Amino acid sequence: MNQAMAAIIKKDFRGIVSNRRFFTELLIVPLILTIVLPSISLAAVHFAPDDPDILKLLQLLPGGIRGNSLEMTVAGLIFNYILPVFFLMIPVMTASIMSASSFVGEKEKHTLETLFYCPLSVKQIFQAKVLASFLLSMMVSLISFAAMVIVLEVEAVFLMGNLLAPAVNWLVILLLLSPAVSLIAVTLIVRGSARARSVEESQQSAVFLIIPIILLAAGQFTGIMLLNVWILLGISLICVLLAWILLKRAAGRFTYEMLLK
Amino acid sequence: MQTVTLQDLSKTYSGGKEAVKGISLSLEQGEVFGFLGPNGAGKTTTVKLLNGMLAPTSGKCSVMGSDPAREPEKVHAVSGVLTEHARMYDNMTGLQNLVFYAAIFGIPEQEGKKRALFFLEKLELKDAAHQRLAAYSTGMRQRLSLARALIHHPGVLFLDEPTSGLDPESAQNVNRLIRKLAEEEKTTVFLCTHQLRYAQEICTRYGLIDEGRLLAAGTLGELREKAGSGAELRIRAGNISEGMKLPGAAAGRIRQKERKYGKETGTGASEMEYPGNILRIKIRSEEEIPGIVKSIVGAGGDIYEVEVRRPSLEDIYFTLTGKEKERGL
Repeated sequence: MNQAMAAIIKKDFRGIVSNRRFFTELLIVPLILTIVLPSISLAAVHFAPDDPDILKLLQLLPGGIRGNSLEMTVAGLIFNYILPVFFLMIPVMTASIMSASSFVGEKEKHTLETLFYCPLSVKQIFQAKVLASFLLSMMVSLISFAAMVIVLEVEAVFLMGNLLAPAVNWLVILLLLSPAVSLIAVTLIVRGSARARSVEESQQSAVFLIIPIILLAAGQFTGIMLLNVWILLGISLICVLLAWILLKRAAGRFTYEMLLK
Repeated sequence: MQTVTLQDLSKTYSGGKEAVKGISLSLEQGEVFGFLGPNGAGKTTTVKLLNGMLAPTSGKCSVMGSDPAREPEKVHAVSGVLTEHARMYDNMTGLQNLVFYAAIFGIPEQEGKKRALFFLEKLELKDAAHQRLAAYSTGMRQRLSLARALIHHPGVLFLDEPTSGLDPESAQNVNRLIRKLAEEEKTTVFLCTHQLRYAQEICTRYGLIDEGRLLAAGTLGELREKAGSGAELRIRAGNISEGMKLPGAAAGRIRQKERKYGKETGTGASEMEYPGNILRIKIRSEEEIPGIVKSIVGAGGDIYEVEVRRPSLEDIYFTLTGKEKERGL
């Protein structure tokens, strides 16, 4: 990455931070998914009566997942199997706010042509735009994770007298799967933004990318899938490869003429 | 050294509109070239072709030795572009905008800031340096865009209507800056405008374009020759009798111009019109003037004022477009 690309990334960051509406949207989703929802879940687990049906259900789980008590087992399940999926959703949703307007937003403000007069190729500008959204999503994702862990551990100690133990899943999700999925989504949204005629059109198309992740989250809630660390690692590596190919090729066919039309 | 060349350059848009038709031109280093024509003549399309924003349908062009269609980044590194559609960021201040564009051109932050402040002062925007662009007037935005185009010290400057939206004082200031850049830093300026009088003030050479076709190119003298419109001598005189003859190249018979039903009457190319006590004579060189004045005085005429009027760029443009249309018919 050269100085010019770094300048574009810095400028795009400034654009998001200085826009109050975008900045609020950027904070609300992670706040709900990582602080509000997990806290409610933890409180529900603690205050809910010990249901014999749930006890039977929990006995079906593999031995390693079961905790010392019912509430610690359920809290551990939520923490290690349901919340990680939110960390696929958060980067995609935050990135979509910035990336959906990356090209078409500049086109609407008549700044895209000015950007094209700089000594960067279309591909480099495309990659700078993708990187800006990707870095923002990763930053939001990691800050959200840190905030969530602090809040949940404090709540767990107060309510259950124990700390929640994070599984290895978290490491794979945070460092591999979440960045890869985010990069794939950002590249596709930025590409869509380059073709779109308005920011709204671009945002509407970006929404469709979140659907597979929502289905995955629903799957986790219903217990259809209980991904172990090796399956997660395999999926992550495939996603990393796909993200890399997409990033290299997505801007291939774009020309100034096509983008300014 | 030739800095910009166009060889039989043409552009037809996907809708079928032929915006540029076989233009061939070359610009020397340090010249201010006025690319003149009405709106929709193909000026902006030519600038976009020269910067690689559009791909030519046929022909080729180069800027400082690089082909914009194949190596646009190289062309952008050595050229500055000011067009109506190339705007800057409203959420950033004037200074922040300039520092950002300097960084894009690989200029370190401190140096970028120094250059930005220099141009902000030159273009009388220093007081607005820390204001967001959203609060800038059209003229201020135009001046800031010029500063942006100059921030990396380009070898070629493409200016599309640079003084549009500027008050006369700012326009003069911009003109001075452009002239200085061409003279002192040998920057080649490719200036597009439909304001022919403005172009005549600042340009050293001209290209006249209409409907995508280059009608003529050259210095003002060369264009006058091409258009075949020589100078006109205007003499305010009294005691001139109708039918009086003048000697030399201006030889002819003086007649009073009459108007009947809005149409001129009287014929004869060598006849000199004398409406409202102003004698108008076509001359080829200044050497003819003393002879004409002497003969009028000799014949008993009184001379109050003698003026030589050379055709302006506007006159030449209309003569050439008229000729082109006649040819087309």
